[in-house]
Amino acid sequence: MDAHKVDMFLMANSKFFESHQMNMIRERLVNLDDSKWAMLSIIQFKDPTTSLIVSILAGSLGIDRFMIGDTGLGVGKLLTCGGLGIWAIVDWFQIQKATREKNMQKIQQFLY
Amino acid sequence: MLLDRNKLYSILLIACLAGYIWLYYSITSNVTENNSVEVCLIKHTINIPCPSCGSTRSIISLTKGNFWEAFDLNPIGYIIAVIMLIAPVWVFVDIRLRNNSLFVCYQKIESRLKKPKYAIPLAFLVIMNWIWNITKGL
Repeated sequence: MDAHKVDMFLMANSKFFESHQMNMIRERLVNLDDSKWAMLSIIQFKDPTTSLIVSILAGSLGIDRFMIGDTGLGVGKLLTCGGLGIWAIVDWFQIQKATREKNMQKIQQFLY
Repeated sequence: MLLDRNKLYSILLIACLAGYIWLYYSITSNVTENNSVEVCLIKHTINIPCPSCGSTRSIISLTKGNFWEAFDLNPIGYIIAVIMLIAPVWVFVDIRLRNNSLFVCYQKIESRLKKPKYAIPLAFLVIMNWIWNITKGL
C-alpha cells in the first residue's frame, strides 16, 4: 500500500493502539494489497478514553468490560460488585490497555 | 489483556480464593448482624445498593441452610455459590488432565451471552433485581 495512505491511517488511528504495536501495524500495512484500503478505512475502533470514563462511572457493574467485548469478565465484575471494589479500581488503570488490545485484535483480521 | 487459558484460570482461582477468604472473614466477624457489609463502591458513593449487594449475606444464609432467606436477600447469591463451588474443581481437573474444557465452555457461554436474545432478558433480570434490592433497602 502507498506509504502516504499508511501514514494517514496511522496518524488518524494512533490513539487506538499501543505504541509498541504501531511499527508492526505499519509494516503490515505497507505490504498490504491496495484493495483492502476501503475496508480498512471504515473499521470502527473503540476509544480507550471512552472506556476509561465508563470504567470510572460504572466499573463496579462491569459495564466497561461489556463495552469492549469481554462479556465473561463483565459478568464476573457485575456479580461480585466489581470484585469487592478492588477489581473495579484495578480496571481503572487496566481498561485502556485492554481496549487497545481489543482494537489490535480487530485490525488483525484485516492485516492477514 | 487478551484472555488465554492460563490467564482465565488464574483469574478464576484468585477470585474464588478471595471469595472464600472474604466469606470466612464475614462469617467469623459477624458482619451480617448489623447489615454493614460495606465494600461496595456504589453503595459507598451514592448510598443505594448495587445489583449484587447482599450476595455475601445471601451466601452466608445458604451455608446455614436458609434457602428461602438466601433467595430473599439476593438471588445472585445462588449463582455465585454455584460458580464458587464448581470453578475451582473444574480448573484443577483441567490442569491435572492438561485439558482446556473450561476455557472452551467459557468462550461458548461468552459468545452466546453477546447475542441479543440472551443478553436482553438477562440484563432485564439484573435490572429487576436491582430495583428489588433498592426497594428492599439492603
